[in-house]
Amino acid sequence: MASVAESGYIPASRRRRFSRRRVGQAVAPYVLLTPAAAVIGLVLAYPLYLLVKMSFQKYGLFELIRHQGKWIGTANYASIFHDAEFWHVVLRTLLFTTVCVSLTMILGTAIALLLLQVSRWVRIALTTGLVLVWAVPVIVAVDIWRWMVDYQFGVANWILTELHLGNFARHDWFANPWTGFGVFTLLIVWGAIPFVAITVYAALAQVPHELLEAAAIDGAKPWAIFREVTLPLLKPIFVILISLSIIWDFQVFQQIWVMLDGRPSSDYYTMAIYAFHQSFQISEYGLGAAIAVVMVLFMFAATLLYLRQMLRTGEVN
Amino acid sequence: MKVRYLAVGLLIAMLAVAASTASGGTSRTHATKIVVWLMNDAQSGWPDAVALANRNFKAQHPDVEVDVQYQTWGAHLTKLDAGLAGGDAPDVIELGNSEMAKYMAAGAFKRLTQSAFPNNKSWLTGLKASSTYNGKLFGVPYYAGCRAVIYRTDQYRQAGIKSAPKSLAQWFADNKKLMKKFGNNSNYSAVYFPGKYWYAAMSFVYDYGGSIAVQKGGKWKGSLNTPRALAGLNQVKKAFALSRASKTGDEANPQQSLVFSKGQVGSFWGNGWEWPYALDPKVGNPSIANDMGAYPMPSHVKGRIMPTFIGGSDLAIPVTTKNQSLAVDWIKAFTSTAAQTEIVKAGNIANTTKLLSASKSNPKLAPFARAASSGWFVPNSPNWVNVENANVLQNMLVKIATGRASVRAAAASASSQITRILNTGA
Repeated sequence: MASVAESGYIPASRRRRFSRRRVGQAVAPYVLLTPAAAVIGLVLAYPLYLLVKMSFQKYGLFELIRHQGKWIGTANYASIFHDAEFWHVVLRTLLFTTVCVSLTMILGTAIALLLLQVSRWVRIALTTGLVLVWAVPVIVAVDIWRWMVDYQFGVANWILTELHLGNFARHDWFANPWTGFGVFTLLIVWGAIPFVAITVYAALAQVPHELLEAAAIDGAKPWAIFREVTLPLLKPIFVILISLSIIWDFQVFQQIWVMLDGRPSSDYYTMAIYAFHQSFQISEYGLGAAIAVVMVLFMFAATLLYLRQMLRTGEVN
Repeated sequence: MKVRYLAVGLLIAMLAVAASTASGGTSRTHATKIVVWLMNDAQSGWPDAVALANRNFKAQHPDVEVDVQYQTWGAHLTKLDAGLAGGDAPDVIELGNSEMAKYMAAGAFKRLTQSAFPNNKSWLTGLKASSTYNGKLFGVPYYAGCRAVIYRTDQYRQAGIKSAPKSLAQWFADNKKLMKKFGNNSNYSAVYFPGKYWYAAMSFVYDYGGSIAVQKGGKWKGSLNTPRALAGLNQVKKAFALSRASKTGDEANPQQSLVFSKGQVGSFWGNGWEWPYALDPKVGNPSIANDMGAYPMPSHVKGRIMPTFIGGSDLAIPVTTKNQSLAVDWIKAFTSTAAQTEIVKAGNIANTTKLLSASKSNPKLAPFARAASSGWFVPNSPNWVNVENANVLQNMLVKIATGRASVRAAAASASSQITRILNTGA
């Protein structure tokens, strides 16, 4: 301030006001960001810090009661990386995620394209149906599906038998993990399609009509138009949807947990269930935390895709 | 480009979903209230005993509310862990007798003075042992239970079965008769035996002289792959064939006694309290009251009884409580002779030998009291409950029931898991 007052002919009061405004302009965004940053720090960063810390500790029931873990370095990580079951679980989760995300994206996009073609009333009816599915809480959805595939009273077994596709009376879909995961895939994809379909439909509406027309005039077939014109334009949305779907499907928990009465057999462990099992059922919270950290790293990869796309989308504008 | 707004909108939607799933709260205990966690068996089976205890407690402490929260077996330990970590565990908690050791060893419970509690000189020895760790008392025996075969007398009669079977071979023969008579109904089970019902299945193992694990020189070894245990498990596989219950389900989802009450089941292995529960007018079916009976499950040795799991519960006070003396008073009220008499009426075995004669003279309880004369218990290790929580036995049984693995292979894999879990930290 002293230097401002000493230097020259511009009235000091005006210069001070000017610089104060400049400082204010520079600081304002940070001030405005502070509450959000504080909330994120409180609800995300701190728990994540605790999780990472716990993953380097022996943290069993004894330690839990005393709120004091014992530092054991990377022993938890060594233990899970040498655990054959852990790798089975990782593979199973990756496979399950891949299948769910692929089916969700393909079917969701197909429905979005269909929405463009149908009449207004059909479109409204379809969209309402999609929104209703999206609005069903997970637990309620699981209960509905649970009744549909019930081994004794389920409508799925009844229909399949009536259609003469075989004798499905008292067919237990969860006796074999492949058919069990088939049911879970249907359940997850069913629940995820509305979001993808409606979003892609909204994005499709933004595709300039002239481009499509021009391509058609140049003699491009519908599939070629979709591949060469629509798809590149929608790429940002697809990247975001795919990375979000990966994040959601990778951490599937409630659907399997509730459907199997909270006691899924080890054939049904996904990474989220395995981490929960190690933590809350075996009381090896350190091991569970290590598994969760590995999970976070996996999902971080998916998030990177997402962030990169978000930043690029920003740059274009 | 508008795509950008869409992307931002997506982000907002995502955050909103995250925020809505992050709700939920905790409750603090005040000196004006104590929180009691009982299992939902008490809610459906003996609500009168709970009401009586609360009345007597209120008479003693008019200003203190008792908040009884009913828990399910599948989730209560998870919630207890969370409560212990967060400092808001209940003031009194019921634990199954096979769950106690892990928590006592970890120092989760307040030490108790035996002489403070009613009938403490005549507590059932098995329950008292499950409440004691290194010679110190951390729990109060609550009640015991054991299973017998609860059956439909009318169906047995119609299938030409004159009397309760006296040997396992006879039991199989009788059930085959039932399947022949009623099995055309594709939902009928002569025995309702869901795939994960390990309390019933392990009784076969113990009957053939096998066991879940044995301790040698301080080390545990899973023993389900020994010839005797395998002999028992082979009989289990045969018994699954008499049942059309879910091969991947358990005995509590749906409650087996309620399935039984709907009429398409000849028998099931049930605790004493499940008999009256099947007749509950709200959820069961009172019209079968005169067509029900029970007998102890027969052994493969003719004239003997198959060992039954001596189950039961204890009451404990988590270390996080600030209301220890109130908690002690509530436990006293709930284990008083009057409350225990109510619990016996509901079909259980009391925590005190003083009330045993009452069970033996009641025709609805006598078969269970007789069954209790031959019992087995889980390996006595603080790590045992981890075997339960890891579903090791259930997974093995599901593999056997569905035929996904041979009895030998399923048992070998379960056995090595049990060895590993029981020796953890030892």
